[in-house]
Amino acid sequence: MIPSLGNFTLWLSLLFAIFQFVISHKKNFYSVLQFNKIAVNGLLFCSLVSFFSLMYCHIISDFSVINVFQNSHTTKPLLYKVSGVWGNHEGSMLLWILVLTIFNYFIFKLYNQKNIIFISKTLETQAIITIGFLLFTILTSNPFDRMITSHTNGLGFNPLLQDPALAIHPPLLYIGYVGFSAAFSFSVAAISINVKKKIPWHSYMKPFVLAAWIFLSAGIAFGSIWAYYELGWGGWWFWDPVENASFMPWLLGTALVHSLITVERRKSLQSWVLLLSILSFLLSVIGTFLVRSGILTSVHTFALDPARGIYILIFVALLGGYSLILFGLKSKNFLNKHYFYFFSREGSILVNNIIMIVVCASVFLGTIYPLLVEVFSNNKISVGEPYFNSVTIPIMIPAILVMGMGPMLSWGKVDVIGILTKSLPSILFAAVISSVFFWIYRSYNMIGLAGIILAFWIISNILLTTIQQLIIKNKEVTQNNIPKYSSGMIIAHLGVALLILGITASSIWQKEKIIRMKVNDETSIHNYNIVFKEISEVTGPNYVALQGNFWVYNNKKNIITKLKPENRFYPVTNNSTTEASIHTNLSRDLYVVLGDGDLNRGWIVRIYYNPLVVWIWIGAFAIFLGGLFSMKNNLKKLKRLSI
Amino acid sequence: MKKKILISPIILFFLILLVFFYLLIIDRNPSELPSVLINKKVPTFEAKLLLENKTFISPGEFRNETTLVNFFATWCKPCFDEHRYLKKLSDEKGLTIIGINYKDNSKRTIKWLEKLGNPYSNVLLDPNASLGIDWGVYGLPETFIVNSKGMIKYRLVGPITKKNYDAFVLKVKEVEK
Repeated sequence: MIPSLGNFTLWLSLLFAIFQFVISHKKNFYSVLQFNKIAVNGLLFCSLVSFFSLMYCHIISDFSVINVFQNSHTTKPLLYKVSGVWGNHEGSMLLWILVLTIFNYFIFKLYNQKNIIFISKTLETQAIITIGFLLFTILTSNPFDRMITSHTNGLGFNPLLQDPALAIHPPLLYIGYVGFSAAFSFSVAAISINVKKKIPWHSYMKPFVLAAWIFLSAGIAFGSIWAYYELGWGGWWFWDPVENASFMPWLLGTALVHSLITVERRKSLQSWVLLLSILSFLLSVIGTFLVRSGILTSVHTFALDPARGIYILIFVALLGGYSLILFGLKSKNFLNKHYFYFFSREGSILVNNIIMIVVCASVFLGTIYPLLVEVFSNNKISVGEPYFNSVTIPIMIPAILVMGMGPMLSWGKVDVIGILTKSLPSILFAAVISSVFFWIYRSYNMIGLAGIILAFWIISNILLTTIQQLIIKNKEVTQNNIPKYSSGMIIAHLGVALLILGITASSIWQKEKIIRMKVNDETSIHNYNIVFKEISEVTGPNYVALQGNFWVYNNKKNIITKLKPENRFYPVTNNSTTEASIHTNLSRDLYVVLGDGDLNRGWIVRIYYNPLVVWIWIGAFAIFLGGLFSMKNNLKKLKRLSI
Repeated sequence: MKKKILISPIILFFLILLVFFYLLIIDRNPSELPSVLINKKVPTFEAKLLLENKTFISPGEFRNETTLVNFFATWCKPCFDEHRYLKKLSDEKGLTIIGINYKDNSKRTIKWLEKLGNPYSNVLLDPNASLGIDWGVYGLPETFIVNSKGMIKYRLVGPITKKNYDAFVLKVKEVEK
């Protein structure tokens, strides 16, 4: 009953989407408004019902549904029954569609007297995307497919994915990817009806781009946190194709968030922004294609099926073909001759954009390079971490330098010498703090040096600008040439600085120790003594585990913490996972993983000392928060527009 | 001039799609990759043994002789065909072969080895493919030749067959020198 309802509403969504596409052509404004109201609300309602039907099937463990049978089990905790809905290919497509219709609804809400043609065109494009994904889901990956034979229990769910961080990671990512679909539709609409002056298309686009970017940032952060404590490799980013698939749209999104400000303030870079918003969504879909078609092998790969690959590829070709041809033919109307100075706010934003694009292109190249080589030379190679690190890090360094400087510059022309004297205090401050840092840590690694100095360069610039801001406020001087800083920018940039600090320290000064330990053995890592006290068996809801108990002492012999890493075994899927045990404080993580072993010979134990890791997460959170602040400001602007 | 630049995205876009499309339609096995591990030390790992209640630790337990490392599973049809050549390598050539039982059922593997004979000096269990990841294995069977210093010298993707058996023995001899 419920599965049929889900299937029925899925088909019904398709009808509503087609309806939305057809009626958006109508010339009569009031009928467009009325019909679109029906289409948009109907679509939202149907996809909600469809999505929650699948969730219901997962919660009550209805094993007549193939999707539930393949991915669930009665012993699975409720949280993971729910997150199991999007933990597989078919269900995740359903979630993707739901998010798409929610964004569709928000676009519809923007309708007012002045923008009817523009929003209708946007909704029409959005309808094409929705139809594409609905057809894909219904034809190649319908989550409501049934089985005739009945099973009393399911095949279980990959235990690696049974984790709170990973339960919310996919929805966040999908909100990000799908958010770019709105940017795509706005861009296509803006180009095709040539709205240049009449409608502030960028103000409509910006909240959506910001939302996409905020959620993508959060999604990537949660994925990294999960990789950090669940995979037990001591690291948190592995340049896996799936990670790259989320990182590339994020880079373009970062570029877009910045260049949209330039469009808003100076009306320059318009055609560039239009192209960028088309590309960010295309890259999101291409990422999906790479992950789900099986042409790349990855740790995360979903069920592979060439038919799905062909479908997504054709869909990407149609979307990309349509939008990029449109861009090639009509975007010249958006070109203008506003040239600007290198030393200006818009100049620094342009540098940011160029660098983001170059990094994105390098990551893209690294991801598909093995495929290109295979096509042209029949050799097979694999590109890994060394490539990505050695290519992206040097390109990022100038971006970060400019990032420290950019916010201090004003729009238009800037007095170069003046700005240099202005930034002198922060250069000095960065130098002092960095020297103190190196005096404490006593390590002289080139990349480490660069990373730390850059991080403090940004931090001291932010401090400087904030202080400046406060002084201006107190004096109540209004001068045109002094740039204003949004709190969102300050928080987000501070986040990036902390992120760089954490990334640099944890990757350069990490210490690793792999040894075999028996009960009561003792070992040491970076001023800490670790004693293996005992090992015991514990039982969880759907697993049994061996739990080690490690007591950690500092060099004054005081006990700091007891770490309890686990080695879990899940009988249903016949899988085992390692649960690292981590003690975190602001200066370092102690990370213990229990490997295989037995009482007589001891256990393999991996111990990591990871400096400043927690600042990566704090930095990511600050970036998220900064995004939210600037979202608030942009929504205010949008409200003013609709009056 | 400037306007022509505007059509470059679409050209680039279709070139990339063409590559993807080509890769999708050709009969291709994304798993065949030459090992990046060639001339590197064997990976560090630990694994449970199938037949004894012990743990195998790499690289410590690689003895000072040329060793084959063979990834196999009972569900893998080519592994079954390959098995007699592994027997031949261990019986006639006296080679040490370490078997890694990839994503398999232990009981079924024991029965399989009882029936077909056991060419392996040790059979390591890899239930969740973590050893496969360490060694960069994507398809079964795969065989690595490790020299007496614990360096990986050669990787064979796919089974040892009647056709490539002699060539493979030659490779082993080359490594032994």
